[in-house]
Parts: sequence; C-alpha cells; structure tokens
Amino acid sequence: MKPSLSSLYQSVELRQEIPPLLVGERTNANGSKLFRERLLADDFQGCLQIGLAQEANGAQVLDLCAAYAGRDELADMTTLVSLFARSVKVPLMIDSTTPEVIEACLKLYPGRCIVNSINLEDGGQTARRVCALLKKYGAAVVALTISEKGMAMRAEEKIAIAQRIHDIAVGEFGLRPGDLLFDALTFTVGAGDENLRDAAVQTLEAIRGIKSALPGVGTILGLSNISFGLSPASRKVLNSVFLHEAVAAGLDAAIVDAGKVIPLARIDEKDRAFCLDLLYDRRSETVPDPLLAFIEHFKSATSAAADAAPAGNAFAGAEQAVFAQVVEGNKEGVEDNLAMLLERLTPLAIINQILVPAMRHVGELFGRGELLLPFVLQSAEVMKKAVSWLEPLMEKGADTQQTRVLLATVQGDVHDIGKNLVDIILSNNGYKVYNIGIKIPAETVIEQARALKADVIGLSGLLVKSAMIMRDSMAQYREAGLTQPILLGGAALTPRFVAESCAPEYPGPVVYCQDAFAGLKAVRAFEEGRLTSTVWSASGVAAVKPGARDVEIVRDNPVPAVPFLGVRYVEAIDPAQVFPFVNKQALFRGRWGYRRAKLLAEEYETLIRETVEPAYEGLMRRAVEEGLLSPKVAYGYFRCWSEGDALLVEDGGVTRRFDFPRQAEAPHLCIADYFKSAEEGGDVAGFFVVSVGEVIGREAQALYAANRYHDYLMLHGFGVEVTDGLAEYWHAAMRREMGIAGCEPQDQAGLVTQAYQGSRFGFGYPACPDLEAHRPVFAMLRPERIGVTLTENMLMVPEQTTSAIIAHHPQAKYFAV
Amino acid sequence: MRMICANCGYVYDPEAGDPLGAVPPGVAFEALPEGWVCPLCYAGKEAFDPLD
Repeated sequence: MKPSLSSLYQSVELRQEIPPLLVGERTNANGSKLFRERLLADDFQGCLQIGLAQEANGAQVLDLCAAYAGRDELADMTTLVSLFARSVKVPLMIDSTTPEVIEACLKLYPGRCIVNSINLEDGGQTARRVCALLKKYGAAVVALTISEKGMAMRAEEKIAIAQRIHDIAVGEFGLRPGDLLFDALTFTVGAGDENLRDAAVQTLEAIRGIKSALPGVGTILGLSNISFGLSPASRKVLNSVFLHEAVAAGLDAAIVDAGKVIPLARIDEKDRAFCLDLLYDRRSETVPDPLLAFIEHFKSATSAAADAAPAGNAFAGAEQAVFAQVVEGNKEGVEDNLAMLLERLTPLAIINQILVPAMRHVGELFGRGELLLPFVLQSAEVMKKAVSWLEPLMEKGADTQQTRVLLATVQGDVHDIGKNLVDIILSNNGYKVYNIGIKIPAETVIEQARALKADVIGLSGLLVKSAMIMRDSMAQYREAGLTQPILLGGAALTPRFVAESCAPEYPGPVVYCQDAFAGLKAVRAFEEGRLTSTVWSASGVAAVKPGARDVEIVRDNPVPAVPFLGVRYVEAIDPAQVFPFVNKQALFRGRWGYRRAKLLAEEYETLIRETVEPAYEGLMRRAVEEGLLSPKVAYGYFRCWSEGDALLVEDGGVTRRFDFPRQAEAPHLCIADYFKSAEEGGDVAGFFVVSVGEVIGREAQALYAANRYHDYLMLHGFGVEVTDGLAEYWHAAMRREMGIAGCEPQDQAGLVTQAYQGSRFGFGYPACPDLEAHRPVFAMLRPERIGVTLTENMLMVPEQTTSAIIAHHPQAKYFAV
Repeated sequence: MRMICANCGYVYDPEAGDPLGAVPPGVAFEALPEGWVCPLCYAGKEAFDPLD
C-alpha cells in the first residue's frame, strides 16, 4: 500500500503522481503573524479560516503549529486539532516537538496524520519517544537533519544525519521508510553570507543523496527559508523556481504558502535566469555577484508573475484545481482540468465528488460572511460552465435521483431577482430546478407541481401584497392535495408571518427563507427528512415598531403654492443628473451584497475602492454610452382634501378617491392625516410615476439567460437603485417647485433619513401596500406617454419604474401599516 | 460601532440611539432587542452591516 495520510473526508498519497505534495504553512504561530494574533486572541475559528483559505488555494495537507511562548501548547493544539479535523477536508501535519502534545493530537485525530518533526539534537532521546508514538498510533513523520552539532549545512552531513534517523525509525521501531519525509533544511541565499552562497546547491545535493542512500524514503522542504531577507515580490519568484529545481532533484513534498506558488510556465524567462544564477551561485565576468544582480533585476522589474493571482493548484492535482476554481470563481481553463479528471472519474462523479462539494464550501463561506454574494455568483458561473461541459458526456438518465424544485414569483408580482438567485444557487448545487416565471397564479403552481412532480415548491415575491397572496393561497394548495414543502421568500415576509399566518393553513412544511442559501439549506434538510415548518416562539422578543406612541398631526401648516395644476411630462433627463441621487450604500451593500461582514474596515475600504466603485463607475459609463437608461417622469399637482382615511383628489372636474390604510397599532398613522380636510380649507398633493425605461431590464434578462450571473446581479441592482435615485431626484425637484426646499439635505445620508420637508410614499410599499391605487394614479398622470403601462394586477411595466404620492406636511415621514 | 442598514442606508449610531424606536442613547447595537427593526425600512437586525 502506498504511504498515505487521511482525514475524516479524504486520503492523500505522500508521493503525488505530479510532485510535490503541497503542505500549507500559514497555520503556524511562528510563521504567520495573522495566525499568531488570532491564536493569542483565542480566536480559534479565525485560525480555522486561515486553514480553509490554504485548502482553497490548493494545500493538500495543513501544517498546524501552536507552539508559542506563554501559550499552553497542549490545550491550544487539542482544541485546534478537534476543530480542524471536523472542518478541514485535507489531512493535518501536527507540528510540535513535544511528545506529550504529539501523543494528545495523535489520539484525537480521526485519520492518519504526519508529525513535524523529529531530529537528533539531543542525540535521539526525544526522537525515540516520538517514534514509539508513531508506531503506536500509525503516523508518518518529518525528520530534520539536525544533530547534536546543530543544523547540518553541508550535503554530506545532511545525508549522514538522515541515515542515523533512518536507522532509529526503521531499524529500531519498525516504521516504514515510505512514512519518513526527510527535510534537508535550507538556508537563505539572500543574505550575502559567504558561507551560505551555495546553500541551495547543498540542499539539492542532499535531496538527491538521501533519496539514493535510503531507498523508499521521501523528502520535504520548507521552501521560504531560501529567500529570507529579499523583497516579497522577488521571494515569490525565487521560491517557485527553487521549488521546481528541488522537485527535479527528487523532492516529494513542500511546505509552502499554497496561494503563493507560481507555476513555472508563468515565470518570465529572464526572471528565472536571475533566480537560477543566484541558486547555483553562478559567477561570471559579466555577473560577478549573482545576488546583487538578482536584487538589481527585481528592483526595476515589475515582475508579471510575482503579481499574478495565486496559482497554487498548478502543482496540485486537477481535482484540487477544479475545486479551487469553483471556490475562487475562476472559469479560465476549467475544461482542461475537467478533461484531465475524466481520465479517472465519470462526469457524474466529478459533479458529485468535486463540483458539488466545492459549491457547498462556497455556501459555507457565504454563510459565515467570508464570501460576498457577487463572488458566490462567480463561483456559480464556474459551476455552470463545468456542468454544461460535462452534461453531453453523461449517460442519459444518470441523474434521475435529483430533487426537483419548482420556483415561481406569485401572482401580481413581476420581481424575479430573488427567485432567479434561488434558481442559480439551487441548480448549481445539483438540484433540478423548474423556474416557471413571474406573475404565476396559484392554479398554475398546482398544475405544474403535479405535472413536474416537484419535490419542493418555492414561492417568491417582493411586494407586501405578495405576502398576502402567499398567505391566502395556502388553503388552496391544501385543498388541491399538495403536501410537498413550500419555501417562501421575499422582502415583505418575516419568519413570524410565515409561522403564524401561512404554515397553519397547509399540511406540509412551510418554511421562511431569508435568502437563496436559506433555500438551499431547506432543500438539503428536506432530503435528509428533517425539514419542518418555520416556528415563531411567542417567548421571543416582539418586534419593536418605531414611534410606538400616538402623535398629533399639526393642522395649521401652510399649504404651498404649486407652479401648476394637472400633469406634465419630462422626457429628456440626463442620467448623469440622476447618479448623485443613487443610494450607494443600499446598492453596494444591499442590492449587490458587498457587505463588510467580517472584513476589517481597511479591507472593506480597499474592496470598495478597488472593486466596487470601479464596477459602479463602469456601469454608469456603459449606461450612458449604450443608452441603457432613459429616465422619464410623469408628474403633477392636484387640489385635494382628506375625509377620514381617504384622500379625495380633484382632477379636471373628476374626483379621484384614494382609500389609505391606517396602522392598527400606535401611533395609528395614515397617509390621509397629512392632508387638510375640506373644512380645514383643503390641500395640494403631488404625484409622480418615474421610469428608467425598459432597455436596462431587457439587458439584465439577457445576462441571466446567458448564465452571466454576476453581471446580471450587478446590472439589475444598478437599475433598481438608479430608479430609486430618479425618484429622489424628482422628489427634490418637486420640493423646489413647491417652495419647501428650505432645509435640503446636503448628502446621501440626509436623503436616507428624510432630512427634508415632507415625504413620498410609494404605492405597493409599506405605507400604502394596495396597488389598486394605481388605477386613479394612471387616470390622472397617464404615464403611458412615457412608456409605462399597467398589468391586470396593477403592476407597472417596465419593472424599473416607481410611483409615489408626495406629501408636503413637515411631519410626513415613512411608516408602515 | 455604528451599523448601517444594507437595505436602505440608515445608520444606527449607539451614541444617538434610535428615538423612533424608543431606544435611548448609549445602547450598543448588539444590545438592541432581537425584534428591533430599521426605523426607516423595517429590515431586521440581520440586515445591518458594520460601518466603521
């Protein structure tokens, strides 16, 4: 049997077909500042993150070291080993020289690990104690070429010490030669120390010598020592070139920062020549000092390879490469790696054993706030590309066991970004998704659920009305005999509403899903037979609704003079005028999902500056250049008066009636309160319908259809927030026209908190959820002229359109009924 | 630490509290009741993101 290591999840051969075996070095309190800081802060989860990142970058084994002055190594290591054993897929290298710690970890670890390390510093006493443990628990070991005289510098010393350790481990304790990895140690060639000029040469010779003198043993090397003292960018290149040379000399494993290994092919020929001269200490007349030449070269050269993205997977197997590509959202060349995998695995095995676990890992990272939505979508694009490439190669009917999920946006609602995100996440996690579209009546859901034999039904909708429709259709689904789980998602839903108003009406589980990953979790729970309805415990804290006290609405505020009565249209608005009104926080964090979550303030700032702002600027530019936006407004001012909860609006001889709902709880607000009654002398109200046109929506749908999930999310979110920006922009224009713009907000934050006089209340939104109000609004404003029409369900088309009633009353602010 | 609502951009500043939600000044975001919602858009606590 080939010497291997294993974790709970997988085994790894010590001798890779394409060496070297990559051992991640960043989970080491002595080698990584970040790891040390987290360890000192008892942030074990944070330590784990570093390990997971190494794994994602292609590490096949993780070196774990918690030996640090002032810490309890035994306690730290046992905690970390238990945590890593559960959460990390690759096997561990227990990095300790203390036999008690080593034994505790070997006892604890649910697989076969490797110990780092033994040596002959004390003549072999400790090495023998550890060898006894290795034999007892069955583990491999790293042996350093250190003797009573210290670290061996010359090749022949290194080989001699290796021979002595071999005699102890194999001769005295009966370990298998294949379980020994000799580290011939290396020293820096970057310090200019005359004694170390040939350090690389000695190490490479020792690797060759050990391999020939001790048949069957392996070799390992901590790579980064070679370049100690040099600049970070040049170290990356030198380390990679040295690794290549060492592998050529017979190296089997390397301890590296897995994310920083550069494949040789990506290293510039010239860079490489300077590295080789330095490593082999080649002096010539033209290059009297290779070290100086190296430093000089890398000072001026902006090495392409040194700045390149991590490519630790180049040496690792194609399996790790594909896994890493999905996690990193890197599509490039995925077909080549898949083709390599096909030599050993069936297409279905590739999907189930590599791609789906990779997406699962992505989901876990998202769940922990370590991966943001746009990056998740890039991962999903890689998944989609990989599966599409594999699908034609699959045997027909090979996937009949897939769980089938029906998705629909409910009747009367056209919003489909949420539903489409669920589709993207579920279908790219291996489920069969039938996305039957928007505005789907309950009858169609029932019919399709039967026809498609859906195992799970997912219903979505943004509007307040959609939540009501979901609630009201539960009984219909029950009466139709459906019993499969129903997942509900949408901005207007709450767990409480689903638990109290929806779940009791339906026999199967009814589950609230906060986002697409909650949907994924629910489908998995269904497969495992443990999906249950959302529950709301009455013991939980009740929602604190803002302003929970009645307020007196002032009745004698002045009625502003409006510039005209009736309707006007504004059709030539430059998008550039609208952009300053876009709520960038809501766009970046809300619509796009670039939330700070666990990032440090500076890291988030960098993300915003280097990734998000440029994306936003690119979209603004594109929108203008390609005519994606054509902002238009239909608006007007009308005389009106309130009657109880109703507002009556005078429209050229016709009286239009708006019945507004009143809050059931304090402070019992109602939009009608902000307008004077006939007895109080009447009032004026503003109305508008604003739209950025249909092009941007069409463009977004095309991206979705082309599986460009990331760009779809970006463009869709951009359209939503520019539409809202247009509403802000026009609301400000109307405040100016009414002469109530005396205290205008100076920044975006002021717009958010309504630091202006009055308020706009959108139809279909919390203060007036009933879309029936669109009937009189359309009769008054006739926005068909700017290209906006109403569906039979009172929704406006195109999607990127919004409407509102404008109240000028100083006390009027957002509220929800 | 100030927290921002990812849905609408409202900023919860513990030094100011949330007068609309009857939260007095000096209450840390973490200490707000689970049922607390954004006073402007009614999103729950989970919609909030660290601002600084």
